Amino acid sequence: MAREVISTGNELCAKAAIEGGAKFFGGYPLTPSSEVMHVSSDLLPKVGGVAIQMEDEIAGISAALGSSMTGVKSFTATSGPGISLKAEQIGLGFIAEIPLVIVNVMRGGPSTGLPTRVSQADIGQAQYPTHGDYASITLCAGSLSECYTETVRAFNLAEKYMTPVFMLLDETIGHMHGKAILPDLEEIEASIVTREKFEGSPENYKPYDVPMNKPAVLNPMFQGYKYHVTGLHHGVEGFPTEDAEQCEFNIERLVGKINTVAAENDGLDDLPDYEEYMLDDADICIIAYGSIGLGAYEAVQKLRSEGIKAGLFRPIMLWPSPAKRIAEIGAKFENRIMVTELNMGQYSKEIERVIKRNDFATLLKANGRPIAPAEMVAKVKEMM
Amino acid sequence: MRDTLRFTGVGGQGVLLAGEIMAACKIKNGGYGLKTATYTSQVRGGATVVDITLDDEEIRYPYANEGEIDFMLSVADVSYQQFKNGVKSGGIIVVDPNLVHASDEDKKKWNIYEIPIITIAKEEVGNVITQSVVALAIANTMTKVLPEELLVETMLSKVPPKVHEVNKKAYALGKDYALDAMGTK
Repeated sequence: MAREVISTGNELCAKAAIEGGAKFFGGYPLTPSSEVMHVSSDLLPKVGGVAIQMEDEIAGISAALGSSMTGVKSFTATSGPGISLKAEQIGLGFIAEIPLVIVNVMRGGPSTGLPTRVSQADIGQAQYPTHGDYASITLCAGSLSECYTETVRAFNLAEKYMTPVFMLLDETIGHMHGKAILPDLEEIEASIVTREKFEGSPENYKPYDVPMNKPAVLNPMFQGYKYHVTGLHHGVEGFPTEDAEQCEFNIERLVGKINTVAAENDGLDDLPDYEEYMLDDADICIIAYGSIGLGAYEAVQKLRSEGIKAGLFRPIMLWPSPAKRIAEIGAKFENRIMVTELNMGQYSKEIERVIKRNDFATLLKANGRPIAPAEMVAKVKEMM
Repeated sequence: MRDTLRFTGVGGQGVLLAGEIMAACKIKNGGYGLKTATYTSQVRGGATVVDITLDDEEIRYPYANEGEIDFMLSVADVSYQQFKNGVKSGGIIVVDPNLVHASDEDKKKWNIYEIPIITIAKEEVGNVITQSVVALAIANTMTKVLPEELLVETMLSKVPPKVHEVNKKAYALGKDYALDAMGTK
């Protein structure tokens, strides 16, 4: 039995984190993400967990990484300026292979930008959030229900791939208040993924001694399995090394365990990486994600009511992008794609990279305001 | 059919709550309701707008489409001036005449009612915080978008029990003023 709730995106994100197994939140409140922390502070102690407001965003993610190293599913939440502060520690999580969910409720930028207004301009930041090479796992909620389901998924992916995972909301989705249908709790609990554990003798334990494109096996700290954790390149036991072959293997494995695996398996799990709406018989394809997808649904309906066969392609897994399907859409809709997003064209560049053409229209906005269905309808008509 | 309502004021006045109650009531009644607020980064005094969309069919886009709003209520001039054009021609606008100045031109374009919402809450109910419930009563009495009994029940579920009586009084007063203004009492 599905559950019907009346809630906001931020509240649902926090609820999902906890029902998805998280027991620790470390962070610092930042508009428009603060309710994720408020609700976590309320709910976590009730399930034996801990929510802690640290002195700043850097300390928030640091506490969450430390908690995760003890085997506790952990998360932090902020918006763009907070991600900028957390940048270095995201890199630590990536190279040391510490699972973590990072919620970013996107607001207008750059810098402190437009604190209370909507934006999708942090998707590039989510792709490369830190110095050095990086392979990103980034999910983007396109409805209230997805604020819940994709957050659960983010925790599962973090544990499966041993890496930080971005859960993106935007201000509109985070703050909108309405009906959401959630899977029942038993279904969620049955879906929970927990990181692999080395069960052999502690003397034989080498957490980073894993084959190409496989994640490290980090046992929870303080349970008798000793290893070293560092942001430096490291060998199989975690101690620093500058050995050329080892460093090359490390970075190829870190990137490959996400990007190569996603390309070879057409995704990182069995859940949908995108949603399509009325695309089968469409002449025009709108590409939109996050809250912009909501307006795009209504634009498609309006266009159809006027006899224009429009459809929608809405990515949910932004990184790694659902490249195989994007390429198929590119082949099908020549000169008939309209990408719309709340930034200066960050995902448009990914579409261009995948379809190897730039014969598509864009409807971009980065002034803190949403894009209305009427604006999308007008843009599509311009293309006809 | 979709009903679109807009509440506007300035930050801190509590206009958000009325929207939340209306959306929740529509959902409880088996339909779909969404509340979306837009506000500024000023702690107090910035223009705040709450859009409420109610429909029997699923609603995706959570903001009001400009020019399609059926009903707007405003308790601050800065917000009134900024957001009034979202209301469709002939639509209802309720303003607090002590705080909002609707021009003669506006009165020709829209069906404007002047009700001293803040004064009613402060002096007749005895608690200025109840202005959002006075506003809620006015909005629903004029638009009849939601069943009154369920709306009051939803409202009471959102406020602490110790203030139930005062909020019931606020609702009743808001309803009376709305009926008076429409001349149907």
